[in-house]
Amino acid sequence: MDALLTAHNTLTTHANLSTTLTTVDHLIDLLQQTRDNIAGPPPNTTVSAPLQIAKLKGPIRQTFEKAEEDLKEVNKGLNGYQKAWKEKFKGKDGLGMEGSGESLGGGGGGVGLGLGAGSGGASGGLAGQKGLVERAIAMHLLREGEFHVASTFVKEVSAQSRSRNSDGIEEDHSWLDDFTTDSDNVDMEDEHLEDDYEDGELYAPEVMERGYLQRKFAEMYRILDALRNHHNLAPAIHWANVHSDELGARASNLEFELARLRFVELYTSPQPDPSTSDNPDPSFSGPIAALHYARTTFPSFHPRYTHEISALLGALAFSPSLPTSPYHTLFSQEPTRASIATLFTTSFTTLLALPSSPPLLTTTNAGALALPVLTKYSHILSRTRSSWTTSQELPVETPLPGSMNFHNIFVCPVSKEQGTEANWPVMLPCGHVLARESLEAHARGKGRCKCPYCPVEFRVEGGGKRVFI
Amino acid sequence: MAELTSTKLDFDSHLLLDQPLLRLPHELLRKNLKSAQRHIEIANKGIAASIQTLTTHSSPAETLAALDATLLKAQTLKRKLKALHAEEATLHRQQKARIAHLQELHDIPTIVDVKYDVWAQTRLDRLLVDYLLRQNYLASARQLAEAKGIVDLVDIPVFEECGRIEASLRGANGEYGDALGWCAENKQALKKIGSILEMELRLQQFIEMARTGEMDKLMEAIAHARKHFVGGQDTLYGLRAGGLLAHAPDTMVEPYKMMYAPTRYPYLAALFLRTHHTLFALPAHPLLHTAVSAGLSALKTPTCHSAHNPHRGMSSLQHSSDKTTSTMSRQSVPPLLTDTPVCPICSTELNELARGVPYAHHTKSYMEDDPVVLPNGRVFGRDRLRGLNVKLGVPEGRVRDPTDGLGGAEWGWGEVRKVFIL
Repeated sequence: MDALLTAHNTLTTHANLSTTLTTVDHLIDLLQQTRDNIAGPPPNTTVSAPLQIAKLKGPIRQTFEKAEEDLKEVNKGLNGYQKAWKEKFKGKDGLGMEGSGESLGGGGGGVGLGLGAGSGGASGGLAGQKGLVERAIAMHLLREGEFHVASTFVKEVSAQSRSRNSDGIEEDHSWLDDFTTDSDNVDMEDEHLEDDYEDGELYAPEVMERGYLQRKFAEMYRILDALRNHHNLAPAIHWANVHSDELGARASNLEFELARLRFVELYTSPQPDPSTSDNPDPSFSGPIAALHYARTTFPSFHPRYTHEISALLGALAFSPSLPTSPYHTLFSQEPTRASIATLFTTSFTTLLALPSSPPLLTTTNAGALALPVLTKYSHILSRTRSSWTTSQELPVETPLPGSMNFHNIFVCPVSKEQGTEANWPVMLPCGHVLARESLEAHARGKGRCKCPYCPVEFRVEGGGKRVFI
Repeated sequence: MAELTSTKLDFDSHLLLDQPLLRLPHELLRKNLKSAQRHIEIANKGIAASIQTLTTHSSPAETLAALDATLLKAQTLKRKLKALHAEEATLHRQQKARIAHLQELHDIPTIVDVKYDVWAQTRLDRLLVDYLLRQNYLASARQLAEAKGIVDLVDIPVFEECGRIEASLRGANGEYGDALGWCAENKQALKKIGSILEMELRLQQFIEMARTGEMDKLMEAIAHARKHFVGGQDTLYGLRAGGLLAHAPDTMVEPYKMMYAPTRYPYLAALFLRTHHTLFALPAHPLLHTAVSAGLSALKTPTCHSAHNPHRGMSSLQHSSDKTTSTMSRQSVPPLLTDTPVCPICSTELNELARGVPYAHHTKSYMEDDPVVLPNGRVFGRDRLRGLNVKLGVPEGRVRDPTDGLGGAEWGWGEVRKVFIL
């Protein structure tokens, strides 16, 4: 990496066209001078025109030679860069390989594995599903809060699909209907609710409206914006109240955390409250307001959060000297606000039954980790001129970090194959789990058989009990 | 489950996706240099020639005029070089930004570092803009690049140029002028890779001339053919062109019918695109495809598309044409009651996309601690099951299947059995 940087610096400092420019300037000066001399010769010189011009030839030739040398310098700089680049990426030409395309593409027509190393295979994979890829991108853009980009994108896709349809190419763009809204940009301030309802394809339990997803994410960003930038918790608290049942069913702490933060806010930043004007001492107005708030909201949290509530209320007694009290950790606001923002985002997306971190991001990260393994494997395949035989499953293991394990995996200890729809895991009466096919093979023809892992015998009729991992 | 044994970041393998990033400015710089060389050569010849002629003239006025002309040439040269230099500076800046971006990766020690997430986010944005550019969604690409501040990391001008020429080829009138201009600019490089693009375009010109059927146009066509098709290695074009003259535009004879057909223009557009990408060392397929299909495969399990998926996003429900199931689920709480994060493959965005992709290969089972099985066959970790039941508010001593939501079947804890997953 450093070599590249050095090469780059060489280019920027002296191996570039600026030297050539100076040389050309020099040439121009020369010509200009000669011209001036001929046009209006200085009084004390008697140099004739042809002589002047003859004198020009030499310097001109020299200047051009210098220019060419300068260019050679630039060329050298570029070559140095290329060498450094080749050094860095030596042999890792994973993306340009054409040769292994057949071996990967041979995995079966419907299963185009879009590996970079198999550009032939890639064309069968994602390239054939343009509509779906575009839908994924549009949803991703909405999630990220880039509403303008998303609406431009949807417009461009519709325009292109219209022109393509006139060519007679059939593509599935029905998802576009769910994204276009009647207004051009999503109104971030407004809270649209009921519009005309339509059964869309995105969510079965919740009824879809046009632009549903856009509105939902706009709402989320509106609330987040208020939370982060304007330090206004009211929209978030309102949302949490509205969805309190669902949040409770998931044992989410969001509502209480929000209430706690509000309490802390009221406590530490006293706002002059006209309703409590009977209190002459301004230094207590903060805690008093917090106390009022606590009286109204905390009782609803009583059974679960008693401990935290008593801690907060106990802090009221320490209001004059908060920083030195044992309660000061409860009142540092900034880290709490950031974590609440994250908690809110997570709860919001979970209620929409979407993953909390954008799936495209997770997938790309997983891809970046898996690609080296897969390319190495296809290198080996092409060298031994074999092809991989399983089309449903990758031939090689692609290790991923623990955060990317979203499902439990069952691998039969006997056949070392994964549990699938065709070959599901079954449980024996002793508690051990095998693949269905392994069990059938083991017990073929016999009425009773023994578990491979413990001495329990059992009757086989009906096979084992299916388990869902 | 195959777990990564260490979370250390292996830079070289990570950067597989990022090779073209650094290559493109370099190629453009080379092109820049070659233009500069060409300009200087031309100016050199021009100026030397005019100085040569000057010595034979003796009249001062003519000399002056000639000198002025030479001066003009030199100044033109300077102007051109200046423009090239400015472009070079831009390219240098881009290159620096890209090297810096990759350098950042070197400062991140592990994959689980929060800085890696930031870097990965930038990478994803880069891949998205690249994809949008290739699919010709230029306005969105530009907006996204500006919004995310990655204009220097992506090559918008290159793709805009490419898109313009391709659109002109594909357009209603099938204009090949732009494409021919591009070929002229990149003549040397095209010759090095042995591209047939220019020949094809000239053939198209010929076809257009022959299509009219008028005599003078045909004569022009013959002259054109003589100029371009003779002397090359490939006599095929010359022969084809000759044969074409003998057939009217509505002929049924192959291959002349195919040559007259308007489908040649999309073919030319595709050929241009391929040639362009080869010239600039761009991968033929969007990098996004590569990364995402590898990722989809690595994450996918057979349960993601099964009907028994506890994470089931609505996508598996939407395939049930049975209306009753969808109305039933509309009344109950949404299925994701367990607190594990939703698998990206099971999510609505990617579920359909991942259907055709092979699933990941595992050699070891991956299971929660202390698995137990409910009477309906579902397996959970004992502690997690207990925790979920507390949240559901199930009475003491009873256990319910959390995936069925609040209306699930109930059993006693005694009916729950330990299961052994090896």
